[in-house]
Amino acid sequence: MSLKLDPRTKLYMIFVVSAVVMMSATTPFLWAVRIIMIPIFLLIMEKHYAAAFRFLIFYGTALLLTFKFLSENSEGFLSAFLVGYCGIIVQFMPAMITAWYVVRTTKIGEFVCAMQKMHIPDGITISLAVVMRFFPTIKEEYTAIRDAMKMRGIMLGGGNAAGMIEYRLIPLLFSCVNIGDELSAAAVTRGLGGKVKRTSVQELKMKAADYLLMLLFTAVLVVFVVSKYIR
Amino acid sequence: MMQTIAQINNVTHRYKGAAENSLDGVSLTIKKGETLLLCGASGSGKTSVIRLLNGLIPHYYHGDMTGDVTVNGLDIVETQLYELAGVVGTVFQNPRSQFFSVDTDGEIVFGPENIGLAPKEINARKEIITKQMNLDSLLGRSLFELSGGEKQRIACASEAALLPEIILLDEPSSNLDMEAIKMLHEIICDWKRQGKTIIISEHRLWYLNDIADRVVYMDNGRIAHEWNAKDFTMLSDDETRQLGLHPTSINERYLALLSDKDDTGKCYIDIADGILLKDFYFSYHHKPYILRKNKFSAADGDSLSLCIPKLMLPKGKVTAVIGSNGTGKSTFLRCICGLEKDCTGVIVSKGKEYRKRQRIGFSYMVMQDVNHQLFTDSVEKELLLSMKVKDVKRCHEILDTLGLLEFKDTHPMALSGGQKQRVAIASAIAAGAKLLLFDEPTSGLDFAHMEKVGELLRQLADSGSTVLVSTHDPEFIEQCCDYTLRIKKGRLFSFEERNS
Amino acid sequence: MNEKKLQAKDFITIGIFTALLFVVEFACGMLGFIHPYIVASYVVMIPIVGSIPMMLFYTKIEKFGMLSIMSVLLAIIMFVTGMGYLGAPLIIAAGVIADLIAKSGGYKSFRETVISYGVFCLWICANYFPVVVSADSYRKNLIDVGYSVEYCDNLFRAINSKTIAVLLVLCFVFGCVGALIGKAIVKKHFEKAGIV
Repeated sequence: MSLKLDPRTKLYMIFVVSAVVMMSATTPFLWAVRIIMIPIFLLIMEKHYAAAFRFLIFYGTALLLTFKFLSENSEGFLSAFLVGYCGIIVQFMPAMITAWYVVRTTKIGEFVCAMQKMHIPDGITISLAVVMRFFPTIKEEYTAIRDAMKMRGIMLGGGNAAGMIEYRLIPLLFSCVNIGDELSAAAVTRGLGGKVKRTSVQELKMKAADYLLMLLFTAVLVVFVVSKYIR
Repeated sequence: MMQTIAQINNVTHRYKGAAENSLDGVSLTIKKGETLLLCGASGSGKTSVIRLLNGLIPHYYHGDMTGDVTVNGLDIVETQLYELAGVVGTVFQNPRSQFFSVDTDGEIVFGPENIGLAPKEINARKEIITKQMNLDSLLGRSLFELSGGEKQRIACASEAALLPEIILLDEPSSNLDMEAIKMLHEIICDWKRQGKTIIISEHRLWYLNDIADRVVYMDNGRIAHEWNAKDFTMLSDDETRQLGLHPTSINERYLALLSDKDDTGKCYIDIADGILLKDFYFSYHHKPYILRKNKFSAADGDSLSLCIPKLMLPKGKVTAVIGSNGTGKSTFLRCICGLEKDCTGVIVSKGKEYRKRQRIGFSYMVMQDVNHQLFTDSVEKELLLSMKVKDVKRCHEILDTLGLLEFKDTHPMALSGGQKQRVAIASAIAAGAKLLLFDEPTSGLDFAHMEKVGELLRQLADSGSTVLVSTHDPEFIEQCCDYTLRIKKGRLFSFEERNS
Repeated sequence: MNEKKLQAKDFITIGIFTALLFVVEFACGMLGFIHPYIVASYVVMIPIVGSIPMMLFYTKIEKFGMLSIMSVLLAIIMFVTGMGYLGAPLIIAAGVIADLIAKSGGYKSFRETVISYGVFCLWICANYFPVVVSADSYRKNLIDVGYSVEYCDNLFRAINSKTIAVLLVLCFVFGCVGALIGKAIVKKHFEKAGIV
């Protein structure tokens, strides 16, 4: 049984992770703090041990590379390339894994309820719920389109860059517009958009784990800020 | 005397931008508690009638409409859609696009939440429905990992949670296999027992034999025939064929074709001139790995979702691939045409081996949703895209044989479903593929279109292509297939010539 | 009177196109790590590629608020995916202004749509905000962290508080150019297919 968290805790987690990622770390100690921050443990909680391990290796390599080989003097295309990839891994992966975790573990119902509790207007909540519902759909559709492209041998757009974009985007848009039409028809026949206030069966309560995590993340943030700016 | 629950009164309707009327003076009275079956060809107005009753016409799909519709005492034109939510429920055709949530629980309670019921009440309803419909095993799962049949059950549950008096089903079985259709049949029977009014628009008629009280046949936006249940089931196959309908019953012979037999039949046919498939092993659950993936082999045994060591496909014939959903038919086809690159299978034809990427050139799959396969802005360009050497003359020849020449400048997406399918087939021919794979080309087709697809496949096979087609329609197999290949849990179960 | 207010269908449309636009942005964004100059070229790439879904979206807009809500969603998603929250005000401002411009053209006028999309594209500059707001310390940080001086110089030659003005202008210009291209593609495909 994996841990169930309140969506608000998760949002706070994202906030802290992205704040910490944005304030670049400078000393090994801070890096250590960041690594703790990095949601490896989220992966583990979701039982993606292999992914967690792989990420650890990537992260370690990226760090090693940045510290050891990419000094102020490194020049040339290759190093710019390396810096680029290390940059992706170091700067964005932690936040993206957190985001992945949040999207994966949060049910739309929960999320919508949390948004309601935070007094965000219904329109925004509904749209955002659709966005979350639609990412997996886009992925499914895109996979199918890519398969079709492979079969036609037009992965490279038949030789031009515009084609590469056009062949991917146009069928995707056609399907998404269709699915969207059917989706809204199905949703409105089930009463979406009525005048009554939507209710929610989700009971959102901050539990001990939520408070504990919030505390933990706040502590990490404080440690980070203090040792970076004050010490 | 039964009470009238819904009434359509002389309605004529035309969709915005359409050239022809979708409904033409339709009048229909529906009694409380009755089960009505709407049949007819695609585009005959079945779906429009459903949309009239749930208010999507005129509130969602705009257009010109005359006449009036009353449902449960409410004038549809004056009633907002959300006010109908507890009155009329609709199960749509496409399980993929009709859910709003990502998880099953959220989907079941979606409707009741919208109409603002108290959480306690919603949970109570959810529990009752879960019990009634045996959904325990589906709760708490992501909708994206469910099969089409399971999605359709959740869609039914989501409607039922609103406790509607009237339930509409719009071609609900289109994407379902035999097992799932039986399940759907159970659900509809349950609703009937509860006294709900049910209106079903459908192409497949056999599973509704014992459910429908009355059958309405639509043609060109009009109601052309009406039968009571008994007369309708008496219609012979010839009569239904003339009306362009699927048979009203599938006899024993048909059923035997699709039911899950346990005895293994012959699995290997030795043909001198065939296409040999070797070493097709594949699993979606790849072995845990750190940096490098492992290849699959026969040694992986039970963990394989596809395990076909050797198979000889007869050249120039149509072979039906059958088996229930999720049993590996699609995986099999995807592996053959090289879309699953972790699959190591080899295709041998005329002594030449095709591996990995080469399989793609040799074979071509027409996908279930052809929309994904159309890329350009005209049919002609679509074909030229497939050709290595752009040959406009040959392109026109191919289009001509498929009856598409008049559409050569039309946007493929502006065509009807059947025409799109033919464009996809045309590009397969243009690409020079010898082995043509079809993933459920007949799902959701009416009888006339299904027959057309059958003829086309025969034509392809007769001109030398080898055709492999996965399907759930026994009538279709009867019509055009030479061999049947049964797959069960990714294993070859039987491979037989159909003795015609 | 209900015609004026946004309805469930509109919210769903907004959601779908926001998801699509974000996917486009994300795909282009990934290229940025190859070389710092590409980061600067977002202002060309994203407006042009993004114009295809956006021009289709514009054909579906009939009421005020759809673009504004989209920008709010983009701001939220940028935050949730860890791309920072400093740019949020810019994103939302760009969305609301674009919405107002499009409204003045009745959501149908060709000229207003083009300008509106140009303004909307300014949201892309939010990606550069961390760089501009704290340019000096950010540069020092990058070097401390191990980025090469060359990378940083390249980065800051391309993006600093002076060039941000240029980038904003570029965003607008390529937004307008993109809108023209996007319009053409919508015409080529979606109008021809009879979807719009």
